[in-house]
Amino acid sequence: MTALLAVDGVSKRFGGLLATSNVTFEVRRGETLFIVGPNGAGKTTLFNLISGFLAPDHGVIRFEGRALAARPHVAARLGIGRTFQIVKPLKNLSVLENVMLGAFLRTRRRADAAARAREVLGFLQMEAVADLPASGLPLATLKRLEIARALATQPKLILLDEVVAGLPTGEALALAALLQRLPEWGVAAVAGVEHVMQVVMKVAERVIVLDRGALIAEGAPADVVRQPAVIEAYLGAKYKDVIG
Amino acid sequence: MTVTGSRLVIAGAVLVACLGAPLVIDQTYQLNVLFRVFLFAGLGVAWNLVGGYTGQLSLGHAAFFGLGAYGLAIGSGKLGLPIPVALGLAIALAVLVALAIGLVAFRLRGPYFALATIAFAEVLHLTAKNLPDVTGGEVGLQVPLIFPPDAPSRWFYWAAVVLTALALAITALITRARFGYALLAIREDEDTALACGIATTRTKLHALMISAALTAIGGALYGSLFLYIVPDQMLSVDISNEIAIVAMLGGAGTLLGPLVGAVLLEIASELFKNLFQEAHLVIYGVLIVVVVLFLPEGIVGTIASALRRRRGRA
Repeated sequence: MTALLAVDGVSKRFGGLLATSNVTFEVRRGETLFIVGPNGAGKTTLFNLISGFLAPDHGVIRFEGRALAARPHVAARLGIGRTFQIVKPLKNLSVLENVMLGAFLRTRRRADAAARAREVLGFLQMEAVADLPASGLPLATLKRLEIARALATQPKLILLDEVVAGLPTGEALALAALLQRLPEWGVAAVAGVEHVMQVVMKVAERVIVLDRGALIAEGAPADVVRQPAVIEAYLGAKYKDVIG
Repeated sequence: MTVTGSRLVIAGAVLVACLGAPLVIDQTYQLNVLFRVFLFAGLGVAWNLVGGYTGQLSLGHAAFFGLGAYGLAIGSGKLGLPIPVALGLAIALAVLVALAIGLVAFRLRGPYFALATIAFAEVLHLTAKNLPDVTGGEVGLQVPLIFPPDAPSRWFYWAAVVLTALALAITALITRARFGYALLAIREDEDTALACGIATTRTKLHALMISAALTAIGGALYGSLFLYIVPDQMLSVDISNEIAIVAMLGGAGTLLGPLVGAVLLEIASELFKNLFQEAHLVIYGVLIVVVVLFLPEGIVGTIASALRRRRGRA
């Protein structure tokens, strides 16, 4: 069976900066893959390429075997849902309406979209804020709102861009537990970008490591964090002491 | 009765009252002022689909307004078509031009979009001035009277009321449908709209085309009332501004805002014109500045926000 997502030799340059350098990897059905790396390693650029917000200079991205054009709304329709690292709520709409906009991708009827949105909000334990305007919510809630909206589009692949970063540890772990339940919602694969290694180690089945746009390591989380190149580029010597 | 049901009954009663007004008011002057009120209400509601709900600040709606009048005049006068056919042609022309303008202007965001719409309207303005064989140039063009010649003011008034009601009904239906939610999403954040699978450019084009069709009807009515049109009157920046101001004064992105804005602005400007002659423009300007500074959400928008806050506390 072909991979759900295949990124094949993809490069992206912004002026003098090679943000993505000949990156090749796959996301398989049924897996949770996390992408880690230092700030500026090209993680968000990679997500923008996959979700069609950027066009690669070189290389091809295939979703279910089909080459993707850089058209974000088409990517969403094909089943690639995404969150934004810098949260982008529809501020003047209620939380429910924000999530309904995701649900409208799969239904024309307002009642169906509202019902779907309420289910998703229930799963993410956000019923209490459903009717509040999205402006003025705390960051933790807005991060969940990003997930809810993406999930409401009924994606096959969901791209989570630092949904845990910045949350207090207790909330981060609670959210991580919910992320492990995404397959219940028909999500075939999860790809995440994350800095919180505690969460990555808990949730990820496979990890890839980016540094200065290039893929420098790939494998099971426990193996990857022991590789010298990864410790050098990202985790730092201190981390080596921690994992012994 | 449901909330929607009782709202429909109230809307129907108001519509009947407005349509019945000429039975009480039969002076041509007063009816013409009321025509202007409802004409700009209808135009403001039509503009609101693009400028309010979708957040795309068009300052070039005179283009569609002028095309409505010129389309009617040229179709009926020069081509000798029956009036309904000429009117249909004028609307179709405005929709096609909206498509062409939108395909270019919607590549731009924010103030650049607004500037592009001004530029396109000005291109049409200058074209109309410099194509005397088609548009009559600066001399102008005769427009046929589209209503029976006895008591035409009444007919024009009724037509403007119907235009406003039509624009309001279309807006109310759109805001309850998926399309309306897509417009709001585009206004709030285009990237999020795209991530929700919304074809943002196509959605904006559809909104602009609907808006242009309604605006063209308004232009055709206006031209036919005056029987004679010149480019400086039909395609001027003043028309574009007035349409946008009516909507923003009342409340962009609210259903009834443009109606409230048109009632206030048109009646105020008429009163000031009689009281202060040329100085009325100063007062008109001050009024706009006051609203923009103190009620940035417009009159209806500010009231709606206050009600929401009160409900939130309760």
